[in-house]
Amino acid sequence: MSDQEKDPVVHSSLSKPLMISSALLVLTLAWGLWDEMYGIRPWKGYQARFVKAYSRYLKTAAGGEAEVEKQIRASSEYRRLDGEMNVAEKAATPAASAIDKKINQELVPNILALNDPFQEVRSHIGSLTYQIEVSHSESSKESLRKEILGLRAEKHDVALPGEPQKRSMDFKAMSDQLQAWKDEKAKLLQQRVDLMKQATELRTQRDKYLSDRIAEASTSTIGAVQNSLDKFDIRIRQIHVKDVDLVDRCESCHLGTREPVAITKAAMGGEQVFSSHPNKELLKLHDPEKFGCTPCHGGNGAALSSVEKSHGYNKFWLWPLHHKENIEAGCQQCHAKEAVTEMADTLNAGREIFRLRGCMGCHRYEAFDREADEISSVNQQIRTLTQQKAEWKREAGFDEQKANSPKTSDDEAKRLLAHSNDLKVRASGIDAKIEQLDMRSRSLIREVKKIGPSLKEARVKLKKEWIPVWLKDPHQWRPGTKMPTFRLDDGEIRAISAFVWQSGVKADLPVQKQGDAARGQEAFETRGCMACHSMGEGTGKQGGTFSANLSREGEKANYDYLVRWVHNPRQRSAPYCTFEKKDLTAADYQAKGLPYVFDLEHSKCPNDGHELQVQQMTPMPSLRLTEDEARDIATYLMTRKHDNQTYAAADYMDDANLKNQGLALVRNYGCAGCHEISGLEEEQRIGTELTKEGSKPIERLDFALLGHKAEAEEWYTHKGFFEHKLENPAVYDTGKEKAKQDRLKMPNFNLSKPEIDAVTTFLTGSVDASVPARYFYNPTDARQDIIDGWWVIRKYNCMGCHKVHVGQSTTFDGMTKYQDPDWKDQRPPTLIGEGSRVNPEWLMRFLNNPALSETDTNRDGVRQYLKARMPTFSFSDGEIRKLVRFFEALSSQAQPFIPEKLEPLSETERTMARNLFTSEGAPCLKCHMTGDAKHDSKATAPNFTVARERLKPGWTKRWMLDPALMSPGTAMPSGLFRMENGHNVFTGPTPPSFNGYNKDHADLLVRYMFQFTPEELGRLRSSAGAK
Amino acid sequence: MKKTWIGLALAGTLALAGCGGDKPADVAKTEAPAAAAGGGGTATPDEANGGTVTGKVAFAGEKPKMATLDMSANPVCERAHAGAPVKSEEVVVNANGTLKNAFVWVKSGLPADKTWAVPAGTTTLDQHGCMYQPRVIGLMTGQNFEIKTSDATNHNIHPQPQVNADWNESQSPGQAPLTKSFGRQEVMIPVKCNVHPWMRAYIGVVSNPFFAVTGDDGSFTIKGLPPGTYVIQTWHEKYGPMEQTVTVGAKESKTVDFSYKG
Repeated sequence: MSDQEKDPVVHSSLSKPLMISSALLVLTLAWGLWDEMYGIRPWKGYQARFVKAYSRYLKTAAGGEAEVEKQIRASSEYRRLDGEMNVAEKAATPAASAIDKKINQELVPNILALNDPFQEVRSHIGSLTYQIEVSHSESSKESLRKEILGLRAEKHDVALPGEPQKRSMDFKAMSDQLQAWKDEKAKLLQQRVDLMKQATELRTQRDKYLSDRIAEASTSTIGAVQNSLDKFDIRIRQIHVKDVDLVDRCESCHLGTREPVAITKAAMGGEQVFSSHPNKELLKLHDPEKFGCTPCHGGNGAALSSVEKSHGYNKFWLWPLHHKENIEAGCQQCHAKEAVTEMADTLNAGREIFRLRGCMGCHRYEAFDREADEISSVNQQIRTLTQQKAEWKREAGFDEQKANSPKTSDDEAKRLLAHSNDLKVRASGIDAKIEQLDMRSRSLIREVKKIGPSLKEARVKLKKEWIPVWLKDPHQWRPGTKMPTFRLDDGEIRAISAFVWQSGVKADLPVQKQGDAARGQEAFETRGCMACHSMGEGTGKQGGTFSANLSREGEKANYDYLVRWVHNPRQRSAPYCTFEKKDLTAADYQAKGLPYVFDLEHSKCPNDGHELQVQQMTPMPSLRLTEDEARDIATYLMTRKHDNQTYAAADYMDDANLKNQGLALVRNYGCAGCHEISGLEEEQRIGTELTKEGSKPIERLDFALLGHKAEAEEWYTHKGFFEHKLENPAVYDTGKEKAKQDRLKMPNFNLSKPEIDAVTTFLTGSVDASVPARYFYNPTDARQDIIDGWWVIRKYNCMGCHKVHVGQSTTFDGMTKYQDPDWKDQRPPTLIGEGSRVNPEWLMRFLNNPALSETDTNRDGVRQYLKARMPTFSFSDGEIRKLVRFFEALSSQAQPFIPEKLEPLSETERTMARNLFTSEGAPCLKCHMTGDAKHDSKATAPNFTVARERLKPGWTKRWMLDPALMSPGTAMPSGLFRMENGHNVFTGPTPPSFNGYNKDHADLLVRYMFQFTPEELGRLRSSAGAK
Repeated sequence: MKKTWIGLALAGTLALAGCGGDKPADVAKTEAPAAAAGGGGTATPDEANGGTVTGKVAFAGEKPKMATLDMSANPVCERAHAGAPVKSEEVVVNANGTLKNAFVWVKSGLPADKTWAVPAGTTTLDQHGCMYQPRVIGLMTGQNFEIKTSDATNHNIHPQPQVNADWNESQSPGQAPLTKSFGRQEVMIPVKCNVHPWMRAYIGVVSNPFFAVTGDDGSFTIKGLPPGTYVIQTWHEKYGPMEQTVTVGAKESKTVDFSYKG
């Protein structure tokens, strides 16, 4: 081998490494290109796919729509409209085309021909006028004026198309002629419009007939969308709201969100990402151009590089996209003041659980359970004002003293006395304020409620041995109960039972005789008890979930107490003085020589004159039952029990030593959050405040030993924390070495998965909002009344009986008994549109006293024929005001209410109306009450002779014309009137006096009802009786 | 963007075709099939060649005593019966021990792809003496029926369906008959008059023309069924539904008897 052979320059080749590296270079380049084009821009792929899938879908949609349109075009009605339109168009065409000819062949060419010479002269004059204005010398002005006069007088030969000879015209002649032609043209055009009017109207009618019958997008819309798709360009699509620096690029992938053609996942080949926003109405209220996407949905709106990043699912992004089951969490941050947010059922359910299951007993949450807070704030205000008043009085005294001093000058004395008077006047103004606050305090004491029953009554209400069994596991004893299960050991149960038993007030209840269980059952099932309470177990359960299931009531209750409770659940065994902080006894009253009487009319403390709590703090109302009926129901309830259930004796509950031990435990577990307990009336909440829990930094949520596990299992998020805690409140004690009293106290609520989702939605939405304040739903108009009203509606479960808003169902709708056609009409009335129906002053009276009578209270004031009856809730004035304003606002009624003035009724008209009401052909009196006991025993509809006080005339007329529009399924029939010559005429045979009457019959009846007098009632009754 | 252009230039010089596969999505080749052409016509029962199911609805046990209706609230109604007491028609047991007013229909088994023509002829619900006549009627979905009044008092007709649209219309004495129909299958729709709460009728709405109501002899006949196996259901307002399965061939007649216990 020679050296040459070994020469690497000759023998070794770099082609291989070069080949490899150039291949690598090419590959890197290819990868770089791909990454640049698509890798970091995944949205491009989405857009390309979208265009393909969408245009494919549009083609099929257009086909389907075209078929539908074809069918509609073939329908006889469409063909009739089309035919009429054609006839009208044809009839108008000759005259219209004559006009067109005149305009196009004569007027327009003439105007054009004359316009040129005219404009030439006019602009010349214009320029000379300008020169006059700018010229400085009078002489040149004068000469210019002369020049203008010359121009005006100068004659021009104008060639006009229709005329063989040229016309000689001066400036004025040209101007007049031109104006005359223009006027004529305008006149002719108007004539043409008038001629074609009928045809145009018919065309609009025809087209409306078509568009009214196409539910989806019409073929023309589809066509327009298809055209825009052809021009689709691949680019980032973003919403930029400048003033809040919001950049949301979500629509770069979610391209179908706002498409006019509704797109479903299936239509787009299974790609959910392209589907339209599922709630168009919601989108209309929250225009994405103003609200963007992420303020509601969460996520990182600016990010585009990957799905995870733009959805905010990395741990450094604080506002991750809400998961589907918690999607309504986004509503809460701006709608935080509401109990009910429209279109957010899950969120509403979460709030309801938070309230109803007593979460708010331990956890403060702004807007929830605010009465207790407000009471202390009102008391504080009263104290401050009283202080202020005393100060002013003192100062006024000093002033007077000084004024009376001989050393003071007259002027100074005058000033001082005036100042002293001012102070006295202002101090008396404070009295008015204090008076208002006292009233508010009185209201608040009525309004404040507890979720659980009062434990002060435990001793008179309960069977002693039942208490420890209940404490052990309430959910086992009564599945679905509101009371959660605390993790108590036997020692704790014994101590708490002993405390509850011994701290209860002692009272001697009257011994009640037995009632009739069968009658009681009938009453229980029909009076309205079941709107809130359920009865039966397992699949046999019927009734509401607002209050307890009473299937085992007989095992726990004391009969004598139950009778009192059913008769008036607000009645207490002893009043509580909030000032002295004690339950008063007969001795307190005796010492002042007063009878031991305390109710809403006797609510002042005999010792200090302050407002007493004279009611049990339950939302349960009084049904105004007779004592006999209360005994029947209580007797029935006492029969509700499991057979052969025994309870072990519990003598230890009288052990005085256990009581203190129990008290400490009751404090520790926060029982007073939900129950009224002697000595613990002013206990603070034991839990953490949750108003902003959803935005608490994640490190501050105590995952304890589960942090790593949570990260590994991908639930190290707020959502994950809440869900695990709600599912098992002790979960974060796992593996911890803790003494019993240091362990987590939150009891187990046995929530179902949907309930956990609802509460999680509510809590994850409870954030310190990232959006500016102007996004908050903070209306200052009537909508605020709606927000306030919902709290009261929910508090008393009005929706158990009434439909309050469209789409809602009541407990009655779900009960088997009320599916029967006869029982269907026994359901309580719907309140949709209540504000437009009733006079607000009447409504106030009714809510205060639903019997509408001080003496005859064993009845419903409006619908005596219903077995269910509107109970007396003993609302505070504030609550009544809120309810009335709520209904008024829901129906967009103007505030304050001013009754409508109706045309006076002539004597003839009064007789006519009476005749119609009582005629055999008119059904009114067959159903409606008149207040006559014999007649009313068969009545099935409200008393219309009191309509004047109760209703609004406009509503009454609309109701008579078509009640099904307002209340589908109502017993009131439609079709009572028909339209004739522009006014409503009664459909059935009318009395002879109606011959020749050419006014509106519905109006007549309304005017009759609203100008009803007691004398007329007599005439009506005797007239009806004669039949 | 600059990076892209340099990349593009390089790519050009190297003239490699490797980047072709970067297209973001597969092109879906198949066009979605055009919407199926409308159902094509509707079928009518072939009474000559089809199968027939006949039978009767028997009643076993003690005949329940029917309450007397209290029409005193409306003298016009009382007068229409010349003062004779009117019994409730909730259960009417015929002289031959069968049950009147049972609704019988083919619940399932018909070919799914067939749509049936609405039967010809008018079904009428009359209000006579403040009672509905007949008490039970059958209709096919979309079939018009007529409601007329023979009474001198005002009635209202208030069907209370679960799945159909709810309505409630007034009808005065002498007013022209109302024509109505129901769009969805529903067995049964109770009908009441709010003015005369004792009045009750039931309407069975079925999506096929194979239904019948038992009359004074308690029998029923359903004709023109295509050969097949069917579930026949009877329904009675007090005693509820009952079902039997039957197979019929062409021109074949089968008997299916039902029996309710009192």
